[in-house]
Amino acid sequence: MDAGRERSYPGTTERPNEPTFDEYDTPAEVDAAARTLRRVALVYFALFLLVTLGVPALTLVLDWWSSGGLAGGLSPNFVMAAGGLYIVFFLLALAAAALANAVEDRMLGGPEALDEDDGG
Amino acid sequence: MRGGGLLAAALAALWGLTYLVTQVIVQPPLAAGRMVLAGLVLSTVLTLGYPSVLRGPRMYRRRWPPSRARRVGQVGQTSGAARRAEPAPISIMGSSMPLRSGLTAEAANRTVTLLRPMLGADAVAITDRQQVLAFVGPGRDHHHPGKATITAATRKVLEGARTKVLHSAGALGCPEPSCPLSSAVIAPLHVGDSVVGALKVYRVDETAPSRDLVQGMAGILSLHLELADMDRERRLSASARLDALRAQINPHFLFNTLNTIASRARTHPEEARQLLLRLSDFFRYSTRQQGQFADFGQEYFFVRTYLALEQARFGERLAVRYDVDPQVLGVQIPVLVVQPLVENAVKHGLAQSVKGGTVSLKARFDPLRRVTRIVVRDDGVGMDPATLESALRHDGEMGGIGLRNIGERLENLFGERYRMDLRSRPDDGTTVDLRIPLR
Amino acid sequence: MTAEGVLLIVAMVVTLLFAALVRPRRASTLDFYLAGQRIGVVTNAFAICGDYFSAASFLGVAAAVYVSGLDGVWYATGFAAGFVPVLLFVAAPLRRFGEFSIPDFLGRRLESERVRLLAVAVVELIILSYLVPQAVGSGIVWDLLVGQGMFGLDAYVTGVLVSTFGIALAVVFGGMRGTTWTQAVQFLFMLMLLGWLAGSAVVGGFRYATAVERLGDEPLRTSTLTPEGWRLEPVQNQLDAEAPARFDRPGARYDRISLFALVVTLVMGTAGLPHVMNRYFTSPTGRAARMTTVWVLGAAGMFYALAVMLGTAARAIIPRAPSVGWLRALTVDGVLQVPEHALLVLGRLYGGRTGLTLLAIGAFIAVVSTIAGLLLAAAASWGHDIYERHLRPGATQRQAVRAGRLAVLVVAAISAAIALPLEPVVLSARFPSIVASMVTWAFALAGSALTPVFVLTIWWRGMTATGALAGMLTGALVAVGAFLAGLAGAGGILLFPTVFAAPLSALATVLVSQRGAPPERVEAHWMRLHGTAADRQAERLAELTIRGVDGR
Repeated sequence: MDAGRERSYPGTTERPNEPTFDEYDTPAEVDAAARTLRRVALVYFALFLLVTLGVPALTLVLDWWSSGGLAGGLSPNFVMAAGGLYIVFFLLALAAAALANAVEDRMLGGPEALDEDDGG
Repeated sequence: MRGGGLLAAALAALWGLTYLVTQVIVQPPLAAGRMVLAGLVLSTVLTLGYPSVLRGPRMYRRRWPPSRARRVGQVGQTSGAARRAEPAPISIMGSSMPLRSGLTAEAANRTVTLLRPMLGADAVAITDRQQVLAFVGPGRDHHHPGKATITAATRKVLEGARTKVLHSAGALGCPEPSCPLSSAVIAPLHVGDSVVGALKVYRVDETAPSRDLVQGMAGILSLHLELADMDRERRLSASARLDALRAQINPHFLFNTLNTIASRARTHPEEARQLLLRLSDFFRYSTRQQGQFADFGQEYFFVRTYLALEQARFGERLAVRYDVDPQVLGVQIPVLVVQPLVENAVKHGLAQSVKGGTVSLKARFDPLRRVTRIVVRDDGVGMDPATLESALRHDGEMGGIGLRNIGERLENLFGERYRMDLRSRPDDGTTVDLRIPLR
Repeated sequence: MTAEGVLLIVAMVVTLLFAALVRPRRASTLDFYLAGQRIGVVTNAFAICGDYFSAASFLGVAAAVYVSGLDGVWYATGFAAGFVPVLLFVAAPLRRFGEFSIPDFLGRRLESERVRLLAVAVVELIILSYLVPQAVGSGIVWDLLVGQGMFGLDAYVTGVLVSTFGIALAVVFGGMRGTTWTQAVQFLFMLMLLGWLAGSAVVGGFRYATAVERLGDEPLRTSTLTPEGWRLEPVQNQLDAEAPARFDRPGARYDRISLFALVVTLVMGTAGLPHVMNRYFTSPTGRAARMTTVWVLGAAGMFYALAVMLGTAARAIIPRAPSVGWLRALTVDGVLQVPEHALLVLGRLYGGRTGLTLLAIGAFIAVVSTIAGLLLAAAASWGHDIYERHLRPGATQRQAVRAGRLAVLVVAAISAAIALPLEPVVLSARFPSIVASMVTWAFALAGSALTPVFVLTIWWRGMTATGALAGMLTGALVAVGAFLAGLAGAGGILLFPTVFAAPLSALATVLVSQRGAPPERVEAHWMRLHGTAADRQAERLAELTIRGVDGR
């Protein structure tokens, strides 16, 4: 059994020994980006909890939620639980990931166009 | 305002969907009060969340113009020019009226083509004070554009600033005997009090075109020329001020940074290399940045670059703390406003203090009031009220960009709709609190 | 032995051979980019799904829906929802820090060997509680398919032993390492099977909405083994004792609180599952890890929506199916004795013996890939974090490998020993759809002991090693204690302890951390966790290389 050694994951080597390149961050920038990302994550997590727990919560307070029939006859509760929530999760994840990527693009590193311009 | 329109559309769609789901396709429908409640909850979530959802992916996709495109197709330049065109509402209107961009041969050409059928004329020409700019219609072979203004009649109109009606080929005074034109109305084009050119409308028969019609059209064209002139002036003055700013990189800063780099070159070559890269980023941004506005993200990059260089110089004495709202990153803000504020904080707040301190930049976006708030704070030496007062009134001393300069520019862009508060006490640091509306 | 049995065994052998023969290719950053970043991300996402979807997902979700209707749906929702916190809090920073396993990450970030050791203990415990339901699941499949044991053993016992020891031996000697590609193919196979079943059901006249409505018309009943034999009994409504429980209404399984407790348990648990988290290190960059999770959520949503639909379909279709011998033996008045059979029976109804065998292979693959992933994670923790670092610091490669192999066998033996007395027939009255129920215990442990500490370690600079120890101990002890009390009869919310154990764990972590000083090199760790310089560099290099390859 040799999983611990042979399964080599890229990037698991010790970073400090790697040669340093043109790309680098300063501690203040990284700290700022981390705090902004944390805020993004917490906001989206709150939204996620609201939706996920909201579906069962509505069954307790709103009879219509589990007795009404949507077009096919399924109750809104069943529709959400059996399929709607997955779509919500996916869209939420997509939005959160896009925002997080955008934040990282903007808060760390330089703009590409400036980086690669020649003859500056 | 496109963000506002989108939000309104999204809200409308949300209510429509809520109505559809709770009332139409469901049996039994949800009670009206509960539907309204559900709609309100969803609307609140949407209103609060829309900046992050909309701005996130959009700015991610656009990112920065790729350099490859710039190299090959000059896309960078085009977009730079497009950004330079300021958003004044008239300038959008202007795109349909050629002369709106000024009295040039190309604009005149498009104008005469446009005017000929409108005026029921056989030929139309526009001249400036020296030459024919455009001519369309019979006789074009010898009235070709670029030719010096020929007829005495035109010269008279340019000098007398009065409209002239000519009923015969002789009165026209065309030196070419085969010229088919035999009557004309010549009206002057004004900008302010001076005549800058003439509009000439010809017929091949001897019934001249309506004088009033031509004169009216010349009036309209004059108005457009006048607006174009004002535009250009405004743009010139604004960009002249900006260019001055851009060129105004503090020589002390450059000197100090180069010193820092030189001192590291032997002991920490890698760090020196990184600092050099930063310095080049700094200059590239300050010289290549075009236009009045930029994404906050870009300005933030500029500030980061600046502060990284200053941190290298001051070492432990300068701490930096950024606190940036995710939504704010994609908002357009006026260029070269934040960095000077930060530079002031370093230069006046901390550089003189022995123990150093922290410069913090906080940026928030209020989605409901659509206001961007930028707070630059230092916990350095601060100022007494008198110094504070004079800082507001005078331009920065040599090499710095003063608060007054920033204030003037903001006023130019936003009128009364921005706010800049300054708070400072001796030994308690300085805070600049800037609030600017969404463009 | 029946013909299906022979087919199943052949399929098992083929699967094992396939997995053993396709040697792990080292996926380098460049590979990812050459294959096109998106393809790399999607493949990795499917591989995570392959690791993640176990017997609990493949058989258990449909079984839970079959037994409890709407309340059973929440297992699937919770399993999928668990990846949202992973995406928000864990994926990108974990990849950027770039350590090998959860204990490795915690140990290095907090610069403490004690944290590493305790984390290993917790991870092993989680792995064990995840392994047991997988073993039970394979026992069920064996029982249904082969129907008889080997070497004079009971069919269920044989299934358990074959799955645990069979896979353990394959892992030990075959070097089965679950490459990204094989795992992705396995997931696609499972998805395909569900798609095929759903398609057959719709073609066969199944209408989702109508079926749910009709099922809701009559009270929900379940099969129970009484001293007089199998009988159907109405399910008690947990929300309203007066009314009968119905398929399309809540209440068949959970009271007011325990449904929320279940969802929270599943949501928090995924971020602490070692075999899933280990896969995040195969992404080339933090951003790729993040986008991978988005795709995982998409794929998982599709998979679970189908599984839920098929659970409903089984309820609706089985009573109307022509009553033949094999079906009568499995049902009581049209209701399955063991709900885990739902998908398998549907497979046989639509595809005959081949269909049954295919479904069984799907279940088997789910079990095999998950068990192999778990055993590997266990071995990695022992070999890498304990043996090499503590038991014998100067160990040779060979010795470490031997230690890892030994660990695999020991873990397999323990899980088999626990799984054997848990035959579902005995317990199904108490825990309907036992496989899914048992998996939640692993989620509860992970979510209580690991996730809070994990998330705080990533996002809070003030975190200390002592704080992490306190948090993990609190979470683990509270979760296990509550769970034992729940089993002993208190029941209810105690069976889903995350909802209070996780906050307690986080509280303990924060309180203890505030008394100490954070690790010395916290700034450097922060740069590694949240900085993107290394990622950008990797992306740039890859871009340059590709441009060179394309001759541009």
